[in-house]
Amino acid sequence: MGRTTGRGTGRGAAALAVVVPLLLTGVAACGSGSGAGDGDVTITFVWWGSDGRANLTKKAVELFQRKNPKIKVQTSFSAYAAYWEKLATQTAGGKPPDVLNVDTRYLAEYGGRGVLADLNQGAGKAISLADVNPELAATGVYQGKRYAVPWAQNTPAMIYDPAAFTAAGADPAQGLTWQQYAEATRKVSAAGGFSARGTTDFGILDTALEVWLRQQGKQFYTPAGKLGFTADDLRRYWQLASGFRDGKGASPADVTASYNTSPEQSPLGKKLTSSEFAYDNLLPAYQKANGKPLNVAPYPTDKPGDTGQYRRPSMFLAVSARSAQQEAGAKLVDFLVNDAEVGKIVGTDRGLAPNLKVRAQLAGSATGNDKTLYDFEAALEPKLGAAPPVPPKGAGAIQKLLQRTYEEVAFGRMSVDDAVSRFMTEAEKGLS
Amino acid sequence: MTIVRTPDPPVAAEAAVRVRPARRRRKSQPEAFAFLTPWLLGAVALTVGPMVVSLYLSFTDYDMFTAPGWVGFGNFTHMFTDDDRYLQSVKVTLVYVLVSVPLKLTVSLLVAMLLNTRRGANGFYRAAFYAPSLLGASVAAALVWRALFMGGGPVNEVLAFFGWHTPSWVDDPRFSLASIVLLGVWQFGAPMVIFLAGLKQVPAELHEAAAIDGAGAFRRFRHITLPMLSPVIFFNLVMEAIHAFQAFTPAFVIGGGRGGPADADLFYTLYLFEVGFQDFRMGYASAMAWVLLAVIAIVTAIVFRTAKLWVFYDDAEERG
Repeated sequence: MGRTTGRGTGRGAAALAVVVPLLLTGVAACGSGSGAGDGDVTITFVWWGSDGRANLTKKAVELFQRKNPKIKVQTSFSAYAAYWEKLATQTAGGKPPDVLNVDTRYLAEYGGRGVLADLNQGAGKAISLADVNPELAATGVYQGKRYAVPWAQNTPAMIYDPAAFTAAGADPAQGLTWQQYAEATRKVSAAGGFSARGTTDFGILDTALEVWLRQQGKQFYTPAGKLGFTADDLRRYWQLASGFRDGKGASPADVTASYNTSPEQSPLGKKLTSSEFAYDNLLPAYQKANGKPLNVAPYPTDKPGDTGQYRRPSMFLAVSARSAQQEAGAKLVDFLVNDAEVGKIVGTDRGLAPNLKVRAQLAGSATGNDKTLYDFEAALEPKLGAAPPVPPKGAGAIQKLLQRTYEEVAFGRMSVDDAVSRFMTEAEKGLS
Repeated sequence: MTIVRTPDPPVAAEAAVRVRPARRRRKSQPEAFAFLTPWLLGAVALTVGPMVVSLYLSFTDYDMFTAPGWVGFGNFTHMFTDDDRYLQSVKVTLVYVLVSVPLKLTVSLLVAMLLNTRRGANGFYRAAFYAPSLLGASVAAALVWRALFMGGGPVNEVLAFFGWHTPSWVDDPRFSLASIVLLGVWQFGAPMVIFLAGLKQVPAELHEAAAIDGAGAFRRFRHITLPMLSPVIFFNLVMEAIHAFQAFTPAFVIGGGRGGPADADLFYTLYLFEVGFQDFRMGYASAMAWVLLAVIAIVTAIVFRTAKLWVFYDDAEERG
């Protein structure tokens, strides 16, 4: 019997078994700088994204190596979810990459636990943020330490099919009230015989909730890392979203449940809806998936001039606190953030260039979707607010919690009130 | 295991011990251990070591980045008293095991009986039915399944043609677990092949004798095939139950990597993975892994205990 069950556990605990050997072998490897001969150093650099982004990033890294022949950069990338799983394992094994991408949702997790180097000190001081918007630059600071610098700027926005909305007599680009948006989505749904809906049900989206809360003068998280809104706020938000769904303006429950963060897998990308809340720099990806010409618009709002949108660090660059090559790592980070040629190579794939001088240069010569994005953000610039504080540890889990509790509502298995109280209870537990 | 072992091997071993002089036995040991070394190293470094570490971690709040802190039985009590998602994952997994295992065994036995004839095309059909289980826990099979059962997918369209309008199976909490059960049942090739081998061992003369005595096909199945096949059924039951408890890939892929709509596909292993690698609660995940081990051990033990009531071993003397 011992044998039969022994085989069973081997697989059951496989996930754990992966970590431990890494832990045993990795610790020894940590700290021994690789390729130290002749002053040459090798650093590892990881990021998340698609093949297209990989090509752009590799070109930028090649340029860095040409200008810094003594530094060799080994790169690797994965899709967003896989990226975090891999990074967690590598970090636990004591061998995190030297330079890495970080998302604002995980900054507290990694920075707060001592994985990332404080760039205000040591080698990190070589990274110049002189030409970066100070409010954007401040987003990489958590509990007084600069754990990361923004690599690009984007803003939460609505991606939509202009033809469908024009036919319904609405122009989201000019700004709509929530009421106008609700009517427009209903008309879009009806025009298509309800086979596709006007919008993707935004009750599951934490970004949309955050922007809506900002329109109410609230925030998702307080600087102390607690929820910045009450059960009543969430109830009103879910009632708003449910109104869209009940009026057949928003996607039905099973379409909403198929939502996946990648534009290709989302209802708008699959042509099941005609608008969706996302980030403006995803416009080209949505357009490619959907096939129709799409456009980007500000959030609907009932307070003219206040859309709740903000300058968001679409992703960060950070240096590992355990890296033996922090100087070379900081050099790479500085290069990626400030070099004008890099800005030209990577374009708006991750969002706008963080360096304002580089951005101004690029804006002048931009075409196509790039131009759309530059124009969009340039028009919004004066209205954009400061980014919210760094979300606390456990923010990644809160996003999933929001999604599945709202699904209970969408499928009619739970009332809005019950779902709200479940969300609040579990979120407070998760953040404590 | 103690119940089902045949008496022969221990007897034979004892005989061997008595025949050979003790001195020689000891002399052969160094070579044996030399040959065993690679396996031993692997077993200790990759299986025993990690298991010991994970047992230790199950009593800590290890988050993968900072040193683990001792929490005693905290993880275990939290699981059963304060974690609704854990209980949901237990429920989903139990439903999956209780529905998919009997279904899969029934289907594989029926198909094995259909193929247990000497008709020409059987070789082809055996291969064709076995092929899906070769894909096993593959991501590709799960992706195809998702494409088949999603909104606007072929299954939707066919059902709609017959007037039954269904939502996206994989995205609706009412159907999504059923679609994963179907995928599990569809991959019935491995137990089918074992059943086929078992059916070949049922002596034809027993069936002939029973037929002469007037027993119909069902009676012969009930009183000859099933008892003769019971050791094979037993083996398949144990293996498939263990497999089902550990199901991960189909739920991960079909459920969008997050436990499906409203946690309808939150399999135990999926939740374990999420807690460990996405929420950084590796101590809690370790505790969950050990509970799973204990449950599989207990379930297997129960199956073995009840085996003597329904598993019949053909006695060598009787047949020989």
